[in-house]
Amino acid sequence: MASIVGGQGQSLKRRDSTLTRESDVMTITPLGAGSEVGRSCVFMTFKGKTIMFDCGIHPGFSGMAALPYFDEIDPSTIDVLLITHFHLDHAASLPYFLEKTTFKGRVFMTHATKAIYKLLLSDFVKVSKVSVEDMLFDEQDILRSMDKIEVIDFHQTLEVNGIRFWCYTAGHVLGAAMFMVDIAGVRVLYTGDYSREEDRHLRAAELPQFSPDVCIIEATYGVQLHQPRHIREKRFTDVIHSTVAQGGRVLIPAFALGRAQELLLILDEYWSNHPELHNVPIYYASPLAKRCMAVYQTYINAMNERIRNQFANSNPFDFKHISPLKSIDEFNDVGPSVVMASPGSLQSGLSRQLFDKWCAEKKNVCLIPGYVVEGTLAKTIINEPKEVTLMNGLTAPLNMQVHYISFSAHADSAQTTTFLEELMPPNIILVHGEANEMGRLKQKLVTHFTDRNTKLYTPKNCQSVEMPFNVEKMAKTIGKLAERTPDNGENVSGLLVRKGFSYQIIAPDDLHVFSQLSTANVTQRITIPYSGAFGVIKHRLKQIYESVESVPDEETGVLTLQVHERVTVRQDSENHLSLQWTADPISDMVSDSVVALVLNASREMPKVVEEVIKDEGVEELKKSEKIIHALLLNLFGNVKYGEDGRLVITVDDNVAYLDKQTGEVESENEGLKERVKVAFRRIQTAVKPIPVSGV
Amino acid sequence: MGTSVQVTPLCGVYNENPLSYLVSIDGFNILIDCGWNDHFHPQLLQPLSRVASTIDAVLLSHSDTLHLGALPYAMKQFGLSAPVYATEPVFRLGLLTMYDHYLSRKQVSEFDLFTLDDIDSAFQNVTRLTYSQNCHLSGKGEGIVIAPHVAGHLLGGTVWKITKDGEDVIYAVDFNHRKERHLNGTVLESFVRPAVLITDAYNALSNQPYRRQRDQEFLDAILNTLRGNGNVLLPVDTAGRVLELLLILEQHWEQHHLTFPIFFLTYVSSSTVDYVKSFLEWMSDSIAKSFEHTRDNAFLLKHVTLLINKSELENVPEGPKVVLASMASLEVGFSHDIFVEWAVDARNLVLFTERGQFGTRARMLQADPPPKAVKVTLSKRVPLVGEELAAYEEEQEKIKKEEALKATLVKEEESKAVVGADVGKTDPMLIDGHTKADGGGVRGEAYRDVLIDGFVPTSSVAPMFPFYDKTSEWDDFGEVINPDDYVIRDEDMDMGSMPMGGDLDGKLDENTASLMLDTTPSKVVSSELTVQIKCSLVYMDFEGRSDGRSIKSILSHVAPLKLVLVHGSAEATEHLKQHCLKHVCPHVYAPQIEETIDVTSDLCAYKVQLSEKLMSNVLFKKLGDYEIAWIDSEIEKTEGGSLSSLPLSTAPPPHKSVLVGDLKMADFKQFLSSKGIPVEFSGGALRCGEYVTLRKVGDASQKGGAAAIQQIVIEGLLCEEYYKIREYLYSQFYSL
Repeated sequence: MASIVGGQGQSLKRRDSTLTRESDVMTITPLGAGSEVGRSCVFMTFKGKTIMFDCGIHPGFSGMAALPYFDEIDPSTIDVLLITHFHLDHAASLPYFLEKTTFKGRVFMTHATKAIYKLLLSDFVKVSKVSVEDMLFDEQDILRSMDKIEVIDFHQTLEVNGIRFWCYTAGHVLGAAMFMVDIAGVRVLYTGDYSREEDRHLRAAELPQFSPDVCIIEATYGVQLHQPRHIREKRFTDVIHSTVAQGGRVLIPAFALGRAQELLLILDEYWSNHPELHNVPIYYASPLAKRCMAVYQTYINAMNERIRNQFANSNPFDFKHISPLKSIDEFNDVGPSVVMASPGSLQSGLSRQLFDKWCAEKKNVCLIPGYVVEGTLAKTIINEPKEVTLMNGLTAPLNMQVHYISFSAHADSAQTTTFLEELMPPNIILVHGEANEMGRLKQKLVTHFTDRNTKLYTPKNCQSVEMPFNVEKMAKTIGKLAERTPDNGENVSGLLVRKGFSYQIIAPDDLHVFSQLSTANVTQRITIPYSGAFGVIKHRLKQIYESVESVPDEETGVLTLQVHERVTVRQDSENHLSLQWTADPISDMVSDSVVALVLNASREMPKVVEEVIKDEGVEELKKSEKIIHALLLNLFGNVKYGEDGRLVITVDDNVAYLDKQTGEVESENEGLKERVKVAFRRIQTAVKPIPVSGV
Repeated sequence: MGTSVQVTPLCGVYNENPLSYLVSIDGFNILIDCGWNDHFHPQLLQPLSRVASTIDAVLLSHSDTLHLGALPYAMKQFGLSAPVYATEPVFRLGLLTMYDHYLSRKQVSEFDLFTLDDIDSAFQNVTRLTYSQNCHLSGKGEGIVIAPHVAGHLLGGTVWKITKDGEDVIYAVDFNHRKERHLNGTVLESFVRPAVLITDAYNALSNQPYRRQRDQEFLDAILNTLRGNGNVLLPVDTAGRVLELLLILEQHWEQHHLTFPIFFLTYVSSSTVDYVKSFLEWMSDSIAKSFEHTRDNAFLLKHVTLLINKSELENVPEGPKVVLASMASLEVGFSHDIFVEWAVDARNLVLFTERGQFGTRARMLQADPPPKAVKVTLSKRVPLVGEELAAYEEEQEKIKKEEALKATLVKEEESKAVVGADVGKTDPMLIDGHTKADGGGVRGEAYRDVLIDGFVPTSSVAPMFPFYDKTSEWDDFGEVINPDDYVIRDEDMDMGSMPMGGDLDGKLDENTASLMLDTTPSKVVSSELTVQIKCSLVYMDFEGRSDGRSIKSILSHVAPLKLVLVHGSAEATEHLKQHCLKHVCPHVYAPQIEETIDVTSDLCAYKVQLSEKLMSNVLFKKLGDYEIAWIDSEIEKTEGGSLSSLPLSTAPPPHKSVLVGDLKMADFKQFLSSKGIPVEFSGGALRCGEYVTLRKVGDASQKGGAAAIQQIVIEGLLCEEYYKIREYLYSQFYSL
């Protein structure tokens, strides 16, 4: 009948605690960007917490083929998804992942990233010319994903499910972040794309204040070294200047947002310093041009001091010499001009249209300003082939000059080395780099860090890196338990409370002081029909239990029995015994046995019981009538006995007639009638013994 | 023992004076807020002056004068030199507020408590943080972590959380739990059981009407006046609550296509709005959302004209208009001048949106009934003429000469250092040899050629500059000096100093700048007159603070272990103190000025390592955010003196079982009825089925703590139902 507390009964709040031991091995698996560039996506689990960094697509593929290897994981297990910046290879599979998979965790990115993300992906959906069934997501999916994305500000520390994380400025593009994740004191830094060099509008990547245990770092440029920025800028402007001076056209295929803004700042400044160029138009051909300006104007706080100071005078993104170009139809192609057009890969779109048009002309220049992904036309022409295939399938000679001047704001090997040197992470995982480049960088870093016992990994996609971490669990003992620091060998018992990854040992009484949890005492009182002599029970109890004590009740002085100092037995009335105890597995057990004993005792004396009940029946009735009357008098004031045995209740000129036997009430006033009825019913239940049919 | 915490109010207790409190954590002195009133009474800062030199850090919570006004003065006069921490908007808008105050004051008096340069240099020390950024202090404050959290009320408004050794001290004044047009509500409620909470009693006695109703009344009052051909003056603060008012007006004008002109008139109005436009990430979710979706910045005000000069207002054609002008106190500033002009016309309306500071003209006018007439001082700055000018010039000449002499002496030593300094200052972004047109603030023109254009020191290469050999002629007395050089340079300095300031603090409107730089000698001419008040005066509460009722409910939810009450009238403080003693916690303090109270928690705590052996036997049960288990452990002292807990070698002694959980009668009722048991409440008890009643005795809330030990009584007849219900009851708890 009774259950032992803590049994596996039905429960409301109780969830089966995971029996699987939380492993102290951290597993990091790149689902994309492992020994490749594009579709960044790194999956990480540690201590039962799961985090995914970035969710990009591969620009060289289309449709499902461009996605990271989501099949390898169970999206529903992911607690947090962190997006570093808005570039397609870091964020473009997010709508798919949010809307078409079982993912149900939380997504975070910075304010600027979120604002541009929507712009960029809407554009991506529009320009990608794949068939409908190959479409990964549509405009609606993007809008829906916007509602799920939460924002995080730089340095803001958030905690989700025991995972603490915050982000640092990463340079690279507006809003780009490096995420630091802290699980139970083990820190992982994911750099995303970063640059340690300050440029015209962005800050350099910050050096995190804390050294991480694992650093997942990009290796895009391998062992290459960037030229100093001013030399690159000079080359850039020189090429453009000489080309337009000779009447040529300059095509700059660039990604619409991010680095393009930097190039525009350079061009605009150069043009204002060179009045002789003012008749050469510069076009910024991107449908996003105008809309992204609002974003760039708003998030100046994410940019460097230089731009903020300029902003004080006028908006530096309000270009004087650059005009927007919506489509090639509006483009009046006469004479020299500079056109910056997207996409940067030259795979399709306006930049490709212009390329096809201009590639045969020797005077023209194609200036590739950023990193180019393997398998794209932009990569092909860097090697300056004799011929290229046009969009219409024909081949054409490539006479146009091709220059490659990188402004892509990725760290080069010198930056990476210094960055890692300062951070000194014991484990380094290289991602986001071509296998060969990455291999070389790995070699270089290995020699560089030989004396430091640093582990370097270059996992391929879906290859897991496992790192064991021994985390010391420290608990804080507080409150009454900690009034005295215990000596060696002493015992400490109490509640161990875990929240996130912090432990506290608390005395049960203190629980509500130090946590939002509370404890409860349940007092149980049960009435058992028993009409025998109390002495009989006492005798029997003494026969069975070791400790039975007679204690007079504090209030009434009635003699009660205490069984094992847990259960109190008392005779309530002549027909009933009551048992009282505080819930506890052992007390419950004791009380159960007492109940059984009492029931047995009363079964052996049926006759006595019956007679006593009859005798008292009539008296009881009279007594109860009196009580009913008295109670009604208390309630309603004017209660009289009517002629027909009914009670007449008068309240403010309203009269109600109550039949005591049936409980029927007659009155013209409905309100009064209801009140009397209810009152009578309650009195009845209070006065009359509750029928014990159930036992 | 826990971390020692002492609180000493320096200003602003038992009254509505500015806020300034000293919190000392294990000997590390943190000054929280550094306020001053609109009168700038130096005697208010007496207590601060006594401790200023011992202060190790300053935290600012809001961008108005009451919270940061004394910072420039304290930095200059009291030797306060600690690092200052504030959020970006508090820093920026606080700076603008101080500018506005200075300029308003300077216009009507020989204000000399601090100068614009003092403001700039005070704010130079500010470290800017974002919300919930954990800033780890170093040095003397090692181990202390400070973090700003959303407070509402003003843009960037901060509830400070100071943590040491896991104990939180929270400073939350002037918070607002309600979400507004441009701000989110405070996150104060998300903190539970901090060791110490310092909060204000300012609003403990006031209750607010519903926002919608209040907004409607506000707009009605304004529109009625406008339609009656009257003008509306809203005396506002520089960059705080005015933002909310601007949004209310802008939105209403937009929706109803109104054409009455609205003017926002402060010395820094256009910079204010420019900066505010770039603070979207600090504003409410709805503003951020609308920006993401439509790319419309909420503060791209279409119906509001920004003015920085009263003469512009005078050029506006006659007709009804709304003017939001600083200062809210009506003591000085544009609002004061406009008030004097408009008060005499019965058609006009002066609408106060916040309670005036104590003793200010605004407060006087908010009295009920309002005074019939007020005395005002009309002051004006006029250029010097005739003899006065001549006298002034003579004096200046003398000063200049002396300075030139001094400069000569200093110059020699400085000259070498300047080379380095100037290089650092020069824009490294140049592509080619063209000198930038706006070499703003770079005065060392002579040293410009030192720079190799575009040279950028990279981290891997040590920065090197070509050796610049300064050739100068020397004679027996040192370098040959051409005094003329220095005369020019001096003027240069005068002109240059402001743009320099401008660089550092961002932009100042050109007109304002010229006004500040106006070196024409001038003096202040004052005249007193009495203004008959005929216009209507209305006060509506747009202060954006939580009202008394909400404060109480928030406090009892936060349930700090110790509570310190500051800022608020004596009456309000006493009221809140009594309330909190009864309902929040037994330790409520309301210290007097310079009374140090010790709120060190009487907690005992020690750390112990949980060994793997012990943990492998522990089975946690999950309860909300918590996981909980019972452990019996044996403590082992390791050599290093640290404690480690191991599993017991003997059988664990039996312990009284603990039921953990929070039983809500209403929820349990639902649960039972879902199990098919008829339940109803009667007389405070829950009647389950026919024979069983369940009661909670000794109400949990009476003891103060959010949830003390609950006492539950279940009684009934011996029957099957009893055991069934008991089992359900047990299922609501964890037994350990």
